[in-house]
Order: sequence, then structure tokens, then C-alpha cells
Amino acid sequence: MRTRTLLCVVLLTALFASMAGQAQSSGGPGVTVLPVEPVTIQPGKSATLNMRFRINAGFHINSNKPTQEILIPTTVKLSPPADVLVGKLEYPAGEQMALPFMPEEKLSVYSGTFDVKGVLKTTRAVSRGTYRVRGELRYQACSDRQCFPPHTQAFAFDVKVVRGATTNKRKNPAQSPNIKG
Amino acid sequence: MLSYEVGVKINLPTAVLLVVLVAAMFFAGRYLANRSQGGAARSVSIGGDAKGQLAPGFELKDLAGKNVQLSDYHGKVVLLNFWATWCPPCKEEMPWFVDLQRRYEAQGLQVIGVAMDDSDQKTIEAFTKRLGVNYPVLLGKESTARAYGDVQFLPDTFYIGRDGKIVSHVQGLINRKEIEEEVKNALAGSSTAVQSGVLRPAATGAR
Repeated sequence: MRTRTLLCVVLLTALFASMAGQAQSSGGPGVTVLPVEPVTIQPGKSATLNMRFRINAGFHINSNKPTQEILIPTTVKLSPPADVLVGKLEYPAGEQMALPFMPEEKLSVYSGTFDVKGVLKTTRAVSRGTYRVRGELRYQACSDRQCFPPHTQAFAFDVKVVRGATTNKRKNPAQSPNIKG
Repeated sequence: MLSYEVGVKINLPTAVLLVVLVAAMFFAGRYLANRSQGGAARSVSIGGDAKGQLAPGFELKDLAGKNVQLSDYHGKVVLLNFWATWCPPCKEEMPWFVDLQRRYEAQGLQVIGVAMDDSDQKTIEAFTKRLGVNYPVLLGKESTARAYGDVQFLPDTFYIGRDGKIVSHVQGLINRKEIEEEVKNALAGSSTAVQSGVLRPAATGAR
């Protein structure tokens, strides 16, 4: 019995060690996608979406509209299920920045935290339930002296379709091919 | 049977197994974290200890479609610069390389740029033309990057001596004066000022 307890303690320690190993490497050039709040929406209606991203300290990424065509813009691509529609995404304006080694050349960048907003809409025929929207953030990060290759980071969030006054619901929502299992 | 008193009796093989398990999970965690960072912190094959190693050979196409090998420049000092069009620090130092190529060519310097770019060849060509690049620009491959320690970020520059050995490896942008010092050291066959695999702090206003 005591050996089993010891084994459990050791396994838990190993689990924490594994997590610590991951946490220690989080100081890279990446962008963290902060958890997106589930969006609650009625059939046929729209709701606002807010996605927040945090750039690691000391780094910046190009805005959605870089000052030069050759620079890689930050983009968010959403892949919703069939009955969920995504409107045009709104990106914040970039912060005008001149790097120390090229003061004459202005860049349009994001640093710190930035939000991308959008509008979600569902079809009238959508069934109640929770739908998963998958997204991809594409960016290219630099510090003032080095740049990292372009990177695409996947994320996901849920859309909860709830009954509304004008709901045109199906008799059996579980039959919807788009519903999250 | 050997045993350790750790509150409960546990035999030695079990203890060793548990220690190995903890260590394995720790390193597995780190490995997964590194992968999730897009390879930003992966280990390098030549990096911190690049100095004195034979520069890995390669054969890459230049912008005219001609195959170019590193061995084509044996006997010269090669400044091998990995760069990309989306990298502003890389763009900054390219005119410096143009100047160094012109001034030190007679002493045996050959600058070679390796574009680690997803852009098409025409875009790269237009970019280098706009900057007046006067040295060969090659289209980089992942295999070449791997051979040179993964080229985790850009710019990444190797100074290769006349004997084909790496004299210095500098990751990230340093200032113009420091780059020229690296070139002079490589031409002189000196390795005293070598700093490999380290991002060197650049003095400001030294352009």
C-alpha cells in the first residue's frame, strides 16, 4: 500500500517535472493565443468575437498591413463549421516603429497584446449545440536584431448556439454533421 | 536485495527506473515545448562550438540557376550569410556586405548570401538588385540550414577561413564595424576574436 502511494507521488512529480520542462521554454519569440471566450449566439443572429494575442517581451510582429509588401502580414484565418459564418475580421492599426539600426525606415508592428475582432453569424437552420471553430494565426516575429521564420499557430474556440425566439430548430440536433462530439 | 529506506522500502532497480522516468518526462516536456515554439529553441549541430569545424559543403542554385558549391571558393575567406527578404536586420547589413566585398575582394574575401525564403526567385532577385548586391545569392534549402545548425533565426553568418574551417559564427545583427573586424580576422587567419553561436551586443551608432 505504501509502495503504491510512493509510486503515485513519483508519477505526479514526473508529471510536474514534464510541465515545468514545457514552461521553461515558453520565453521564445512566439505569440500566445489567449483563451477565446465561447461565443453564445442564437440561430440566424450575429455575435461579436474577440481574439486576444500576446507577443513575448522583446519581440514584435508585423501588423496586418506592413509598410512594405515584402514583409509578412499578421493574419488570422478561421475555419468555422458549415452553419457558422465569419464576417470580416478587424485588425488593429500597427504601431509605427523604427528599429535602432534603421531609424529612417518605419515599420508597422504589433507588440505586447493585440486584439482581432470579428462578427459571427449562424444560419437560421443551425441546430442548438456547441460548435468548434478552428483558427490559425500566421505571423513573423523579430526582435530589433534578429528575425524568426514565419510561423502558423493553431487555436480553437467554441460557439454555443442557444434557443432564440425565432429559432428554427431541427427536431434532432444530434444529427447535425457540424455538431461537436 | 539492495534497498533504500525512503519512508517505505524500495529496491534499487525500481528507484533507478523511477528516476529515469522523471528525467524522461522532463526532457520530453522540454522537447514538446520546443516543437510548439516552431523550432525556435531547437538544439544545433554546429552552433556554440562551430569554431574550428569544417564548414559543411553544399550545392545550391544561384539566381541564374547555376549550381554553386562551397568548395568552388576553397582558398578564399567566405562570409556565408543566411538571410531572408522578410528580415529587416538582414536587409540592413546587406549594403555593408556589398561594401566589404568590394574592398576586401582583392585580399580573398567572398561574400555568399543564402536566401532562406519562401518568396519566389524573381522577388529575391528584385530585392537583391534594389540593394545593389554584388555577390552570389543562393537559394537556400532546409538541408543546408540543418547542416549549419538549423539556422534558427536570421541573420546567421559564418566566417569561413581559407582552409574551409569555420573561424567565427555570429547570430543576429551586429554593427558594421564588428562585421568588418570579423572579416579582417578571418583574412588574417586569426581566431582570437571569434565568438561563435552568440548574439553579440551591437554598439549603437557605429554604422
